[in-house]
Amino acid sequence: MSISRISSKKKATETEAYESPGEFLEGGPTSVDVRDLSFSYGSAGRTVPVLHGVDFYIGESGFVSILGPNGVGKSTLIHCINKILEPTEGVVYVNDRDVKSIEVKDLAKVMSYVPYSANDSFPLSVADTVMLGRHPYSKWGTLDEDLRIVYDTLRMMGIEDLAMRPFNELSAGQHQKVMLARGFAQQPRILLLDEPTSNLDIKHQLEVTKLLRDLAHQQGILVIMISHDLNIAAKYSDRMILLSEGTIYASGTPKEVITEENLAAVYGVRSKVVEFHGVPHIVLMDEDDED
Amino acid sequence: MDSDFRPEYLRLRRRNMLFIAVCLLLVVAAVLITLGMGVYNISIPDAISAWWNHLTGGYVNPRDDAYVWDGRFPRAIMAAFAGAGLAIGGAVMQSVLKNPLTDPYTMGVSSGAFFGAVLWIICGFSLFPFLSGDLASIANAFVFSLIPVGIILILSRYKRITPTAMVLIGVAIMYVFSSFTQYFMVTADSSSLAEAYSWRVGTLADASWDNVPYVVVSVTVLSAVLIVLSRRINVLSMNDNYAQTLGENVQKSRVLLLVIVSLMTASIVSFTGTIGFVGLVCPHVVRMFTGSNSKYLIPASAVFGALFLVAIDSIAKVTGVNGLPVGVVSALIGGPVFAYLLIKSRRSVWM
Repeated sequence: MSISRISSKKKATETEAYESPGEFLEGGPTSVDVRDLSFSYGSAGRTVPVLHGVDFYIGESGFVSILGPNGVGKSTLIHCINKILEPTEGVVYVNDRDVKSIEVKDLAKVMSYVPYSANDSFPLSVADTVMLGRHPYSKWGTLDEDLRIVYDTLRMMGIEDLAMRPFNELSAGQHQKVMLARGFAQQPRILLLDEPTSNLDIKHQLEVTKLLRDLAHQQGILVIMISHDLNIAAKYSDRMILLSEGTIYASGTPKEVITEENLAAVYGVRSKVVEFHGVPHIVLMDEDDED
Repeated sequence: MDSDFRPEYLRLRRRNMLFIAVCLLLVVAAVLITLGMGVYNISIPDAISAWWNHLTGGYVNPRDDAYVWDGRFPRAIMAAFAGAGLAIGGAVMQSVLKNPLTDPYTMGVSSGAFFGAVLWIICGFSLFPFLSGDLASIANAFVFSLIPVGIILILSRYKRITPTAMVLIGVAIMYVFSSFTQYFMVTADSSSLAEAYSWRVGTLADASWDNVPYVVVSVTVLSAVLIVLSRRINVLSMNDNYAQTLGENVQKSRVLLLVIVSLMTASIVSFTGTIGFVGLVCPHVVRMFTGSNSKYLIPASAVFGALFLVAIDSIAKVTGVNGLPVGVVSALIGGPVFAYLLIKSRRSVWM
């Protein structure tokens, strides 16, 4: 898998590669192509620039994590990819099609999104909440089939015993697992996650991240995850994108991205990066620590 | 560990269906019982047999027939369908606006609609000159009911408004329309002031075979549409961004659903005036039994709202010398019952 600006690789021209939504849904390899993307909040006169010149291409399935300090624009980038926000400049192509031209319903069949927090005002049961992930398919799905998929995803997250509980009675960690299950129930080819494990304890963080990696590899899904736990991200990611000051600072394999120099430059922390089974591992240091 | 939830899921589904079926039976019973209630003195069994005889072509004493078949029966049907329509309106608005305090009444939809109807009924002004009679009234009501909906939608699009602020805006709109309406009523013929007043608080006294069909058709058709769209309503009750990633065109769907609710409200309010509390209370009571899944919430609110309004109107009819407008009793009973249920309910209905 590769993250780079495409050079020799075939890429979509301005005329769309696919004629019909059907082709877009079925055919072609999974890809996310972000071209020279900029984004500013606010309207004319008073704009707050967030992202500028973000440019990358992911041409196949795998597990990609997006890293960077608070406020660097990680969530904004995800929102530009899934059409919640419209880039101020630049274009995002999903499976070789400009997201602007993709109907939200079609996009929902290809890409699902697990937000950082669930502030659902409605206490549906967990089963009904996960069932919402079947919404893009509502014209075809039968209750039986949907229930089976809901059950499978709940089992995958190990929360099938919570199925009939009201969503608002669960803990923050359980909420995140339900949201993940809902993302899976959408049966996406691309899964976008905004810090999906932030409320989980370390054991579950490890389990869930590993599960995401396995899903990516076994089912050929492209998983793009915002993460703050660099060590867990480094352990499981195929590729990493490190953002700093609104643009990409480094990208590549964990070994290429997780270096003492990069961490110092982007996060402003001193650290020791050691290697464990070929995976970089960060030991953080403060001013009292000797090298 | 194998804990397949599906049998439990299907069991709850059956329980919800049962709740709806039982309410439906109670509505039928309440409609029959209310035939014997009112100022005209006839016992409940006598009234039911007069009704049955009329239905089956038997002999009925003309006086009884006039009261039971032409007076109380259409009034009961009106109560049932108005109750169903307003309760569905409340259930849908609460979900779509993500706000437990909204219903057609608190959002000013009812008072907007009523103002439109009054424009036609008292002033003879129609926005659609080719329409006349009840249709002109409904059309006026529909157009004016869209004004509060439009204001709320536009405000919530450009400014982040809290649920409380939304209701305050709704109430403000309600008062503005009410004062317009009162102006026309006060300047109208003074002999009809009492009638006009009872109409403003909501009454079913004007129900007749002439206007009941409009309400029956609009509530039946539009609630069927809303039930078909219930899955979409569930998605819209989520955070807007999230709803979009589930494949929902949020703005479009929200406008569509609120327009449907406005149309249904307009068709009811044109004949009953503004009846409060049904739309706000009934969905909340129903949530305690069926939960918040719109698939069950909407039909259950419909049957429960119907039951509520028929029962409340029965009480209204026998209260006081000449009966009270149903709106008075609905607020009198609905308010405390709602407070009691909210306090008693252990499970928080809303986060």
